[in-house]
Amino acid sequence: MKQEAPAAKLKKKKRTKAEKREAIWALCFIAPTIIGLIVLNFYPAIDTVWQSFCKTGYFGKGNTFIGFENYSKVFTASETWHSLWNTIKYALIEVPFGVVISLVLAVFLNKKLKGTSLFRTIFFLPMVCAPAAVAMVWKWLYNQQFGLLNNVFGTDVAWISDPKIAWISIAIIGVWSIIGYNMVLFISGLQEIPGDYYEAAEIDGATGIRQFFHITVPLLSPTTFFIVQTRVIGALTIFDLMFMVMDKTNLALENTQSIVYLFYDYAFTKNNRGYGATIVVFLIIFIMIVTFIMQRAEKKLVYHP
Amino acid sequence: MKKLAAIILAAMMCTTALTACGNSNNGGGGKADSITVNIWDSNQQKGIQEIANKWTETSGVKVNVEVVDWDNYWTLLEAGASGGKMPDVFWMHSNTAQMYMDNDVLLKLNDYVDKDDKIDMSKYYEGVKNLYTREDGNIYALPKDHDTIALLYNKAIFDKYGVEYPTDKWTWENMYEAAKKITEGSNGEVYGMAMNTSNNQDGWYNLIYSYGGQVITEDHKGTTIGSDESKAGMEMMRKLLTVGAPQSVVAETGTDSLFMSGKVGMISQGSWMINSFYTAENHADYAWALLPYADRNGNGTCEKEERWSAYNGLGWAASAGTKDPDSCYSLISYFCSEEGQKLQAEKGVTMGGMTGVSEAFASAFEGMDIKPFLDAEEFSLYFRPYTKKTTVWEDALQQAGAFLDPWQNPSDPALMAKACDNAQKIIEKAIAEE
Repeated sequence: MKQEAPAAKLKKKKRTKAEKREAIWALCFIAPTIIGLIVLNFYPAIDTVWQSFCKTGYFGKGNTFIGFENYSKVFTASETWHSLWNTIKYALIEVPFGVVISLVLAVFLNKKLKGTSLFRTIFFLPMVCAPAAVAMVWKWLYNQQFGLLNNVFGTDVAWISDPKIAWISIAIIGVWSIIGYNMVLFISGLQEIPGDYYEAAEIDGATGIRQFFHITVPLLSPTTFFIVQTRVIGALTIFDLMFMVMDKTNLALENTQSIVYLFYDYAFTKNNRGYGATIVVFLIIFIMIVTFIMQRAEKKLVYHP
Repeated sequence: MKKLAAIILAAMMCTTALTACGNSNNGGGGKADSITVNIWDSNQQKGIQEIANKWTETSGVKVNVEVVDWDNYWTLLEAGASGGKMPDVFWMHSNTAQMYMDNDVLLKLNDYVDKDDKIDMSKYYEGVKNLYTREDGNIYALPKDHDTIALLYNKAIFDKYGVEYPTDKWTWENMYEAAKKITEGSNGEVYGMAMNTSNNQDGWYNLIYSYGGQVITEDHKGTTIGSDESKAGMEMMRKLLTVGAPQSVVAETGTDSLFMSGKVGMISQGSWMINSFYTAENHADYAWALLPYADRNGNGTCEKEERWSAYNGLGWAASAGTKDPDSCYSLISYFCSEEGQKLQAEKGVTMGGMTGVSEAFASAFEGMDIKPFLDAEEFSLYFRPYTKKTTVWEDALQQAGAFLDPWQNPSDPALMAKACDNAQKIIEKAIAEE
């Protein structure tokens, strides 16, 4: 590393005109993204942290600094912890089921069979639909009176109004929507595994199931880890499903509302931006802790050949 | 993957840049060529545009009426008020009026009104007028309309189960009897009535008032929702719920959808919803009646103070930062003048914000008698309860810890009484924190 640094410096000085021009053009091309990120992501993120220390006024005027008052309210409110627990419950269903089901599908669809591309498209379709539309359709499928589910199975289950099962119903929508995306990542991971391993295993007489557990799973573990990590973050920030499916007067709302839903409620319905910002900062800290733990676990769990 | 992501990101940025351009207005000092009007009700767009076109004939300024749905309307308006671009002229509502008036984002109309001989502030409905006049006397919006509540019933369902149609002599008890007959007669296939905790202005608020309670007192600084009168009203509500659609049903499907799919015999609704039912598939079966009353003195006839309907009114406001405030006010003045108000009623847009201009509204819907909305005014009206931060307590009342509990389990009278006590505390706390 140390030897490289002066070399790079030297190179910088000796940049030719063409190289300079290239660098300027490169900057121009990424400028929209950089500006977009700064204006749309970085600035609001910093402003959110600032607002979490304020009692906010309307229309961005009259914010007064109040220190950690919002934080002490957020940390002592039972609804914060309840919503966090709801979110974790959701993640506990969405992530494992989303990963396992899509892995199995990916293995099947990676074989050279007729119609694989058709099935790949079908499984990927939920990803193409707008999440709000997906939620609306599922809301009607689950409907107790007119819903397809109850009509087909002849049951009378309040899928989304019964506090005991509503959170599972919501998580099922989450699993359904994410399978296609996970599957595509898995397929690309599978295609990177050299075929030699399988050939050798076959000569040694390994069955398909043994091959799966002893070749596919370990060699795919970097992909799996990537998916798990991104999905955990995705699941912890879930909002649209609860927002679209659950009515405000639904009794099960208390047991399904996610932490981001709680943020929305405070920031936009009750117009208390400062309190809402604090909930978000709380969530960010929680996600950072989870990510840190997972990064540590990565070294043990992921197989590096 | 990364490349793809980068391309998508770049594409997204381009499109956001484009929409940003699209939004920027064509203003430029002095008289504007056109004025942008934002509203949230697509049912009214046609009528409002027609009235605005009449104004264009004399003023020469074009008017674009744009509809933004309720949720996005307030998001956009607030973003505009926080430093972006607001529409020139737009609607105000009792949920948010206080917040906008207190922060000087609306055009002050006093000087214009003083000079304008077409606008006489004493001609408008008290509640609507007061709502848009700040405590210091500044006027920030002119009353656009008013709405009232009536009872909607499905004649086909009443016929099928041999129940007599609602009349103007109905008490809430009569409504209970009728709903009971329908629910029991159909073995629960059809519900006699349906009401959710979220049907407040168009629903249970009216029971509280007809039994003598008040959700928010007239000075907007207190409540009597925990009083014996309110509890009597909500006890009646509880009885109705025992023969109505269960809470789990209305929370999933919504009372309007239930009614339109023939699952419910009666709901109460506001006049702003007439068009939805008028254009519905089975509208020939639908009819309106006066809201029932509470015979508190037991003499068998309805006194003025025994039948209550909520009323609310929108206001026409303009942005404080508009390029052409004179034209904006001129448009608002036309909308709220006697001529504009009468046009609005004739076209079936809404009833007027001015008193005595709404008769034409009753005949705007051919084949559907909507007179009960006008008749309601012969009895008592109360303005939709509001405080500075209405949504804070209004939302809390609809959820667990307040009225969702008795709604969930209407067979227990103690739960309803307790919910009234809780509601009293919720409102008092919210007002104290305002």
